Amino acid sequence: MDRRPRMTKSSAGQATHHSPVAPKRERRPSMFEKEAYAQILRERLRESVHDVQYVEPPFDDSIADIGKEWKSALAKLKFANSYRMEPLKKFQAHSVEIKVQQMLKESLKDVKYDDKAFSHLSLDLADRVLATVKEFGYHRYKFIVKVLFIEKTGQAINIASRWIWDVAWDSWVEAKHETESYVALVLVFALYCE
Amino acid sequence: MEEYHRPCDEVGFNAEEAHNIVKECVDGVLGGEDYNQNNINQWTASIVEQSLAHLVKLGKAYKYIVTCAVVQRSAYGFHTASSCFWDTTSDGTCTVRWENRTMNCIVNVFAIAIVL
Repeated sequence: MDRRPRMTKSSAGQATHHSPVAPKRERRPSMFEKEAYAQILRERLRESVHDVQYVEPPFDDSIADIGKEWKSALAKLKFANSYRMEPLKKFQAHSVEIKVQQMLKESLKDVKYDDKAFSHLSLDLADRVLATVKEFGYHRYKFIVKVLFIEKTGQAINIASRWIWDVAWDSWVEAKHETESYVALVLVFALYCE
Repeated sequence: MEEYHRPCDEVGFNAEEAHNIVKECVDGVLGGEDYNQNNINQWTASIVEQSLAHLVKLGKAYKYIVTCAVVQRSAYGFHTASSCFWDTTSDGTCTVRWENRTMNCIVNVFAIAIVL
């Protein structure tokens, strides 16, 4: 940990903050150093704000407790061996892509950007895409659908995804619909549950 | 014959841990920086890759999907929704929204359990 060089830099900047600790001998990092590090971090991030938007499972205490009992009971359950090494029907990305693209085009044809309507529309669209993908009938697959609506006002946006999964059976699909006022992006991830 | 079953003291996805990991990664990459068209690709890629690497280091039997959207801060509208079909007892998600003077960043982590 390179705490010591940071310490000298910060002590120069905050002369009245703490009496400088002279590291003459090997010692564990003092409370002052930790505070100085925190101070630097705080200054660097002074203008930034973060929060957690949505966390699952529910963090309400009473519900969480019930959930934990049930979950721990479930953990002890061992699933019977299905002796299946691979899915019956492998996820076909291209057919799903065509269907989702078509669905997106139909639902967003002639829809103008509207703040309030779009928050409902995004949830509605996500549910509908999920139902459509489920209809394909890929067994033992788990799906994640992400819908993004970005208003076009000349700002730049950069979207990146990375994943760790089983490359043989898991895949993803992307569908984009662009209009004059907004861009709609749908991402579908399919993961095989072994 | 008894299979080796790793003793787990918690069941389900630990969103708190994931939130901390992601927050640290974003702070490290974007902290104190202003929006810069040249670097933005590199930043989003490194946020996502670092978050993923740290999540994997937790050593839990999960598949992870991490998505990050970084937008230049201006007057714009942005909606995002996600719908998931999975096992609610073992799988989970966590979203972290981070912003500073010039940009907004939204990172989404999905964790799907691997049944060993």
